[in-house]
Amino acid sequence: MSSHAAAGQIDHHHDHTTATGIPNKKLLWWAFLASDCMFFGTLISTHLVYRLNPPPGNAIPTQIFNIELTSFSTFILLMSSLLMALAVNAIQRGNVKSTRVMLLGTMFFGCIFLGGQVFEFTHFVMVKKMTLSNSIFGSTFFTLTGTHGTHVAIGVLLLGMMYVRTFKPTSGNGLLRNFAHLGAVCITMAVSFIWFVPGMIEVVYGLPLGEFLRHHAVPLSVGVAAFIAVLWFGRTSGTVEFGEQNAGDVEAIGLYWHFVDIVWIIIFTAVYLLEYL
Amino acid sequence: MSAPATAPAEAGHHEPSKFHYFIALAMVLAVITGVEVVLVYMPLAKWIVTTALCVLSAFKFLCVIFIFMHLKWDKVFCTILFFIGLILAGGTMWALLHLFGADAAKPLTSNLGLLVL
Repeated sequence: MSSHAAAGQIDHHHDHTTATGIPNKKLLWWAFLASDCMFFGTLISTHLVYRLNPPPGNAIPTQIFNIELTSFSTFILLMSSLLMALAVNAIQRGNVKSTRVMLLGTMFFGCIFLGGQVFEFTHFVMVKKMTLSNSIFGSTFFTLTGTHGTHVAIGVLLLGMMYVRTFKPTSGNGLLRNFAHLGAVCITMAVSFIWFVPGMIEVVYGLPLGEFLRHHAVPLSVGVAAFIAVLWFGRTSGTVEFGEQNAGDVEAIGLYWHFVDIVWIIIFTAVYLLEYL
Repeated sequence: MSAPATAPAEAGHHEPSKFHYFIALAMVLAVITGVEVVLVYMPLAKWIVTTALCVLSAFKFLCVIFIFMHLKWDKVFCTILFFIGLILAGGTMWALLHLFGADAAKPLTSNLGLLVL
């Protein structure tokens, strides 16, 4: 028996009950992320191949991109990775309260990133007239960044599920309450990245705040109501099942979240920055 | 917060906190991102900027996978498994870019004038 096991400690990096010494969930996630590397590798290659040999009449990326906004989104995604790492660090030390705060922060930063992408896509289609089908650049750009955005959205959903799971009481299953809690989290996040964040970016670029609030009054009201519900469900009373023993689960979601961050690191350089040379 | 939810934090048998380590790394990554954006506007040779951007991106990539994703502390098999996918993806990208970077891969429409002549 290892010294960790003998001392009754939880070894978060090794599992002595498996043949590989690696927790099965973690191994599965690493294998999945390795396969996802190939998926994004082909999408990035396709985009670059068509950029190297652009057909006549192709869109000019530097006239379309907004590098300030994309740099801000990159910064936000990096900071969300920090919060995710801190969430894993907190649960490995058995601090559930801190884990919840970090998970919520990661989700919120993920929503800011997604909101930036919603604003960017809307701007490209409505103002720059670049769609998925009217240029090769549009096709490869929207497919690549849209696939990445979908990964981020799935990550936010997984984080939401993990957040709600931290409230599962020790006694009784509380399944209905957990579903309602998850629904409130999902509605809050959806309103954030579909209406709130893109709207706030519009406000930064000159849209009057009053007009923004008037134009999106209904979805914003629903979002505020859902957020209040999230806070209400977040009141804790009694003991919860979640603890240090679940650190592996939080780490697994964290691996996925960091992966979408590293994919964006490559996309930011290959798709955006290299266009400005 | 109920006491039982946080009580194990004081048990004293946890691994050392990496809090300050992660904060410092995130700040370094943010600064590198800023440097990347500034680099593209610098009046430097294109190959220098391209090389610098690739090196900085690779550095950020490795920092995230080894530190934020805990590869540094995990079994080496996780690193091998992930790098199998990464090398296959990199090899596919290299092959595609070389295959379609050739003259023969240029769009036919751009040579249409020559064909007519």
